[in-house]
Amino acid sequence: MSSLKLTAVHKSYGSVEVIKGVDLEIKSKEFVVFVGPSGCGKSTLLRMIAGLETISAGDLEIGGTRMNDVDPSKRGIAMVFQSYALYPHMTVRDNMGFALRFAGVAKDQIAIQVQQAARILALEPLLDRLPKELSGGQRQRVAIGRAIVRNPQVFLFDEPLSNLDAELRVHMRIEIARKATMIYVTHDQVEAMTLADTIVVLRDGIIEQVGRPLDLYDDPANQFVAGFIGSPKMNFLAATIVEKTTSSVTLELTNHGRARLALPVSGGAVGEAVTLGVRAEHFGEPGAGEVDIALDIDVAEHLGSTSYVYANRGGEALTIEREESRNEIGMQTITVSIDPVRAYLFDARGQRIR
Amino acid sequence: MSVTPATMAQAARRTDARAAIRAPADPFAMVRRGLVYLLLSIAAFVSVFPFLWMVIGTTNSSADIIRGKASLGGEFFNNAVTFFTQVDALRVFWNSAFIAVVATALTLLISSLAGYGFEMFRSRVRERVFALLLLLLSIPFAALMVPLFVMFSQARLVNTYTAVILPTVASIFIIFYFRQATKAFPTELRDAAKIDGLKEWQIFLFVYMPVMRSTYAAATIIVFMANWNNYLWPLIVLQTAENKTITLIVSALTSAYTPDYGMILFGTVLATLPTLIIFFLLQRRFVEGMLGAVK
Ligand SMILES: Nc1ncnc2c1ncn2[C@@H]1O[C@H](COP(=O)(O)OP(=O)(O)OP(=O)(O)O)[C@@H](O)[C@H]1O
Ligand SMILES: [Mg+2]
Repeated sequence: MSSLKLTAVHKSYGSVEVIKGVDLEIKSKEFVVFVGPSGCGKSTLLRMIAGLETISAGDLEIGGTRMNDVDPSKRGIAMVFQSYALYPHMTVRDNMGFALRFAGVAKDQIAIQVQQAARILALEPLLDRLPKELSGGQRQRVAIGRAIVRNPQVFLFDEPLSNLDAELRVHMRIEIARKATMIYVTHDQVEAMTLADTIVVLRDGIIEQVGRPLDLYDDPANQFVAGFIGSPKMNFLAATIVEKTTSSVTLELTNHGRARLALPVSGGAVGEAVTLGVRAEHFGEPGAGEVDIALDIDVAEHLGSTSYVYANRGGEALTIEREESRNEIGMQTITVSIDPVRAYLFDARGQRIR
Repeated sequence: MSVTPATMAQAARRTDARAAIRAPADPFAMVRRGLVYLLLSIAAFVSVFPFLWMVIGTTNSSADIIRGKASLGGEFFNNAVTFFTQVDALRVFWNSAFIAVVATALTLLISSLAGYGFEMFRSRVRERVFALLLLLLSIPFAALMVPLFVMFSQARLVNTYTAVILPTVASIFIIFYFRQATKAFPTELRDAAKIDGLKEWQIFLFVYMPVMRSTYAAATIIVFMANWNNYLWPLIVLQTAENKTITLIVSALTSAYTPDYGMILFGTVLATLPTLIIFFLLQRRFVEGMLGAVK
């Protein structure tokens, strides 16, 4: 069993609290990705799971056993570091077999296991080289190989695949993720979307939301997650609630000549300042939605299949995505429509109004 | 040799290359480079001359040396014989070697452990303790000499190798040097080793020490030289002739009523050889270590 459970986990450095109470359950063989902006505590959380940082408060269970004070090598985990952390004075073979040597595994058994891992990662011709004689991608594979050799229940990755070639990434997703639980740290939300079964969005030492990639995209719990998941970033428009019924509210868009639209939500109060969230790809042709807004174009990028129009109105910058559109070439303004069904509403504290 | 287009092309390339060396594009660069070479030559001469003079001196008689003769003579063999009859060279070399080797090994082990510890382990008092340590560096040895001697005589260790070695092994300077060098040691290596199941002492032994071997090489040269040439403290604490080191013995020769300079210089050259050998053996690593290269 290789499930993981974090209960009210805290971490403080002196008086500075960096992890402020994390509760999380990870199922066996799940591929979990931690995302969040720089400094939010992703690495710290991962290192606490690995046993490289002490847990200030709370419990960590791996496979049903409390692991707070267990030695890192006895937690059934392996870790791939951002810098790979290969031992520079050892050959690839010795790097990969090092942990087994200290675990008291017999020499010929080590050789077999190293050979197996080397085959999976196509490292066989490199086994007798030193790390400094390898390319970046090869070092990365050795780092992954060193983790595989230990046959862990849980793999921990701290942003290691940023320059991994696509083939190896797919390979890893299939070869490794089948056999063990994966916890993968990244600040790249695209990587998170492509790799994860479950994404954990962190900010300032707390979990903002946990969910499947498309659930986070379709149904963000708050403005932070809405802005973080999805590329380009979700657009936010200032608005005020001017009317309300039991099943809808009517908004007035602050920067768009008091244009009004009704949203099918039941929360909110009249007079409340709110934020309307619309994804770049959800703006429609003029007249297609409930309200049209006009914007001044700053720049338009045409990528062929898609175009991004960067526009603004009243100091509010918006990004509009258009498929196969060349219409914006040479234009000064653009008019788009907003479809209330595909828009999100957030209160002043950034929480979703549903 | 027949002249083919290929050989002509080769020759042309060679002359091109030579021309490029002879006539750099910028004439000032030439002058500047010339000046640099001149200054370096002067510096080299100033540092090499005493050594050269010492080596030449071993081939001359005492009288010639005093007269200022600076050319090779024929007295080398006589000087050697005089030296070996007056000095129990084997014994004296053994004393020096034993003390220097053991002291160097212990100093490197203990001081690098301390430097590693200072850099790797966070603690609230760490910087204060370290500052205190550096402050201790400013106490001159002369001030410590007498209390140190009293301590060793109470411990009944006077006139032993232990007495010479022990005060040197916790070298503040080497601790400082290793702490600085450890800043370049990637902490992720230590983390990786922990996950691989190594205990702290194993990380130090099997990861830190091999990774930092350039630093150790540089420190070896510095510490070995310091111990081999150590004079004042051995002079105080080593009291019988059979325990004395080569440095003490050679310097004692100069205080004879009529010092035999040819013989003394022979002894001096002999005393210098081990440090030279160590230096040339570790030279490449020494340079790396001083540059702080973690390879
Ligand atoms: N040893 C330490 N002492 C004090 N604060 C620390 C220490 N290590 C990390 N922190 C703080 O803890 C917070 C979380 O750091 P962490 O390394 O986990 O961030 P991260 O999410 O991994 O960021 P990044 O994406 O930049 O790697 C940061 O604000 C950092 O300044
Ligand atoms: Mg990090």
